[in-house]
Amino acid sequence: MSEMTYLQAISAGLRDELRADARVLVMGEDVGVFGGAFKVTDGFVDEFGVDRVMDTPLAESAIIGCAVGAAVVGLRPVCEMQFSDFISCGFDQLVNVAGKMHYRQGLAVPIVVRLPSGGGFSGGPFHSQNPEAWFMHSPGIKVVAPATAEDAKGLLCAAIHDPNPVCFMEHKNLYRRVRGEVPDGVYETPFSARVAQPGSDLVVIAYGAMVHVALEAVADLDGASVEVLDLRSLVPLDEEAILDSVARCSKVVVLDEANQMCAAGAQVAALIAERGFEFLDGPVVRVASPDVPIPFSPPLEQAVLPGVERVKEACRELLAY
Amino acid sequence: MSSSPTETAFDVTMPQMGVSVAEGTVVQWRLAVGDRVAANETVCEISTDKIDTEVPAPVSGVLTEVLVAVGETVPVGTVLARIGGDAGSAAAPVPAAPTTEGPAPDPPATEAPAPDPPATEAPAPPQNGRNGATRAGRYSPVVSRIAAEHGIDLSQVTGTGRDGRVRKQDVLAVVNGDAAADPPLHIESPYRPEPAAPAAGALAGSEAAPPAGEGLSRMRRQIGEHMKRSLDTAATCTTWIEVDMSRVERARAPLGLTALAFVARACVATLRQQPALNAWLEGDRYVRHDEVHLGIAVSLGDDGLIVPVVHGAQELSEEGLGARIKDLARRARARELSPDDVRGGTFTITNPGQYGSIMATPIINQPQVAILDLEAVVKRPVVVVDADGNDAIAIRPMTILGLSWDHRALDGVQAAQFLAAVKRHLEGLPAA
Amino acid sequence: MATHMAEPAVGDTDAAAGHLQAEDQIHLLRAMLLMRGLEERAMSLYRQGKVPGSFYDGFGQEAVSAGAAFAMAPRDRLCILHRDLAAHIIRGVPPARILAQYLGRATGVTGGRDGNVHFGDRHLGCVGMVSMLPDMMLVATGMAMAFKLRGEKRCALTWFGDGSTSRGDFHEAMNWAGVQKLPVVFVLENNQYAYSTPVAKQFAVDPVERAAAYGFAGVTVDGNDVEAMFEATLAARSRAVAGEGPTLIEAVTMRMHGHAAHDDMKYVPSALVEEWRTRDPIDRQEARLTSQRVDMAPVRAAVAAEIDAATEEALAAPMPDPATVLDGVFCEGEAEVLGDGIASWSGFARGGEGGAQ
Repeated sequence: MSEMTYLQAISAGLRDELRADARVLVMGEDVGVFGGAFKVTDGFVDEFGVDRVMDTPLAESAIIGCAVGAAVVGLRPVCEMQFSDFISCGFDQLVNVAGKMHYRQGLAVPIVVRLPSGGGFSGGPFHSQNPEAWFMHSPGIKVVAPATAEDAKGLLCAAIHDPNPVCFMEHKNLYRRVRGEVPDGVYETPFSARVAQPGSDLVVIAYGAMVHVALEAVADLDGASVEVLDLRSLVPLDEEAILDSVARCSKVVVLDEANQMCAAGAQVAALIAERGFEFLDGPVVRVASPDVPIPFSPPLEQAVLPGVERVKEACRELLAY
Repeated sequence: MSSSPTETAFDVTMPQMGVSVAEGTVVQWRLAVGDRVAANETVCEISTDKIDTEVPAPVSGVLTEVLVAVGETVPVGTVLARIGGDAGSAAAPVPAAPTTEGPAPDPPATEAPAPDPPATEAPAPPQNGRNGATRAGRYSPVVSRIAAEHGIDLSQVTGTGRDGRVRKQDVLAVVNGDAAADPPLHIESPYRPEPAAPAAGALAGSEAAPPAGEGLSRMRRQIGEHMKRSLDTAATCTTWIEVDMSRVERARAPLGLTALAFVARACVATLRQQPALNAWLEGDRYVRHDEVHLGIAVSLGDDGLIVPVVHGAQELSEEGLGARIKDLARRARARELSPDDVRGGTFTITNPGQYGSIMATPIINQPQVAILDLEAVVKRPVVVVDADGNDAIAIRPMTILGLSWDHRALDGVQAAQFLAAVKRHLEGLPAA
Repeated sequence: MATHMAEPAVGDTDAAAGHLQAEDQIHLLRAMLLMRGLEERAMSLYRQGKVPGSFYDGFGQEAVSAGAAFAMAPRDRLCILHRDLAAHIIRGVPPARILAQYLGRATGVTGGRDGNVHFGDRHLGCVGMVSMLPDMMLVATGMAMAFKLRGEKRCALTWFGDGSTSRGDFHEAMNWAGVQKLPVVFVLENNQYAYSTPVAKQFAVDPVERAAAYGFAGVTVDGNDVEAMFEATLAARSRAVAGEGPTLIEAVTMRMHGHAAHDDMKYVPSALVEEWRTRDPIDRQEARLTSQRVDMAPVRAAVAAEIDAATEEALAAPMPDPATVLDGVFCEGEAEVLGDGIASWSGFARGGEGGAQ
């Protein structure tokens, strides 16, 4: 075990996989000599060479499409989108080529697409998005979103081992802010939810950076016993863990950093309405970003992103219901 | 908040938290004599019958004297403490403001905190919105399921949730044989609750619940005193009028508004025509206002109620009033109101109609001279006249507006004219 | 459609001499006859209401897929377009399986999960296309990238149309393949129309000229001459496996039917269709073989019998079970890579041109 940041944990996962499996290669813009826009692959090229830590042309569609091609002939590409926002340029290859391949012709596409996502640092409308729901809506693609350093590495290893396309949502705002003990070597974190904090009066369901917002918000809710469920994986969605929390707590706040409409939390809320109805003791409350592009200026951005106070207010309202 | 230098010392005084506030109680001292204090740092917490807030230091220095003990109630303007010592670091003193009349002085810069809500049990008032309809007989899925499993008649279960809603823990308490929690006291308007109504709910573990046999909570006591003072002061009369709300009901739905917003708009428009009711009476001093600062009574559940004010209400449409009222109610429940929000009201509306009650005799919010009570809108058979002049019985959504007014300032004819004008306004709304 | 690179045009029979033996020439004819016959049969079944959805064919373009696929070795990998049925035939997909695919049967290549020519038999080294064109250019580029990274003498090939040259993925693939000098063959199947849009509205500069801008060779080939297609592709493959990078082959041909069965193609001048009818690729290969005194009758009879038998088998095949509709969205076990295809060119058997790979 070593203590490291969320970012270092991702680096460690990649490095351990590159060492352990000759089929693994990293592809992306500026990932090689430069070490990546966020320095996740800093120094990799010295150990693994320019072929396995590949600087690609500025072409997101090509990064995904070429990864698909390499995967179906035996490689295990890990693609980096410089920002998750740019996956829109590779959307077609991911959704139509990679996502549907196994269903149509039984051909597995073991690729990982790393998506540095999320806002909170004035990235503006094109460097702050949380596009995970785009892929949740596209069959054949798994979507995971770690909140802790340990899960960041474990989910990345598991994603690389998975025979399917996996979107790995790594939250930029956690890169250097979150630290934790991380096991050495290759290990897998399952694509299932984890109870980040147990409770019995209300559960906040979140993933990624919002897990930390939730934990801070519920730390002092006038003595209420509030559970925080970290989904970790959005596809597959750990429905049983969600329903288990709902059955015990009966009141639910679903927290997303993404724009509210049809977000991951909408699916969670729908699931609860459908299968957790008889456990509910109040409306399912959602806290998410309103449906606007993420603005640049700090007061505007902070007005959009769900923060501790909004979550607290939602919890208080629901606890009093 | 005011201060005045006394040689090298600056006074910290009981602030005037609203025009009608006469006194306040020290709740907690944050600092002790000898502590260093920075300008604007909180010195103590106080409670008034309008609002609870913090008193910030007017200057930097050292707290040299504490003159009022915790729990002591003193008139506005009383010196609470003195700050002295390092005069060189003192910020410019805030000039003392008059405390007996006119607008209150600047509020402290800090937000006004509310008393700590009881753990997990803070019932919020009903929203005067679409969700504000009575929830009697409506139970959540988990409550229904538990009740069915244990053969419990939910109508016999006392709810401790918002609006008396039966919560999971309430029905579980019955299942587990616990004594049902006492119902919380809900005051939705300034009128006095029925004498038989129990005092504030004694919820297990609730900090706000007074121990059995002990006195009322601070806020309850202050509301009571304020109400009693009003009855002792004003010559209170109440006049009612019946209003056909058909047009309001049709107009409000597409706008997503409640009837309250329309009644508020009608009152504001009428008050502009009849400023005699948009006035303050203090002693023999009678002041009519041009602008309408409309107070709206908002319940804080067990804690009591508060009357935030829509300032400049004459500038607002029904939608604008609805939005402002909703915002004030939300902030009231979240204990986020600032002193400005509760100050300067010239007329008040109270709206406890969510429970189906049809008439009340509200108590005037001093120093105002009138208060309007909006109760439930209910369908009744009424006599209508058709286009040909024939009488017929029709079913119409009706309500009874009650106006309590101060006979010292007004006479019954003005009250009746006012109500008639409001009625015309509401019934004459263009169809949606 | 001029040839702008140093590569000589390869369009005449003489240039092909030496690579193709009589058995190969007959094999190519047979593949084209099977493609045309199967598509005509499928169209007939479509008109009988037995083929769901839309129906697309490659009538008149058989040489493009037959000739190019014939140059591919077993371990090469192909991404096949929807007017290239002959490539599937050459790689070894049985005719009954092809018809079952059209019919949406459980025994079709995709088991009813996708229709018409949207398939690739993964056991034969083929990746099925998607309708977003030319997405498969990038998949082929990625496969070639893997070959190069692993130091393998293998090649990837894909077909795409004239309309595809307008999309960004064309550029991204051409650029990437050029930058990394990958062993990939891009076959631009220029059949003059993208649905109703003629090439004049598609590009200002002939796409084959763009190859130079990406740093590799571009050649124009008579797409209605199956042996010319074979020779051009064989040369491109040789360059690829020798580490000399990609090639863009522009196969000039004509779409003789509508975009799909529902398209009467009124927007195409009939004179143009008639002109191209005289260049029919099957007629030309038959003429070539006739001049070599090969008897075509047994070939045609065998193909007809094969199609009849395949039709019978496909129509008897079960429809897919709706209970299985959720199966296979995700791979649950180990990821299997593409299998090898059948490569019938006699040159591979002789050990030449990477046949031993």
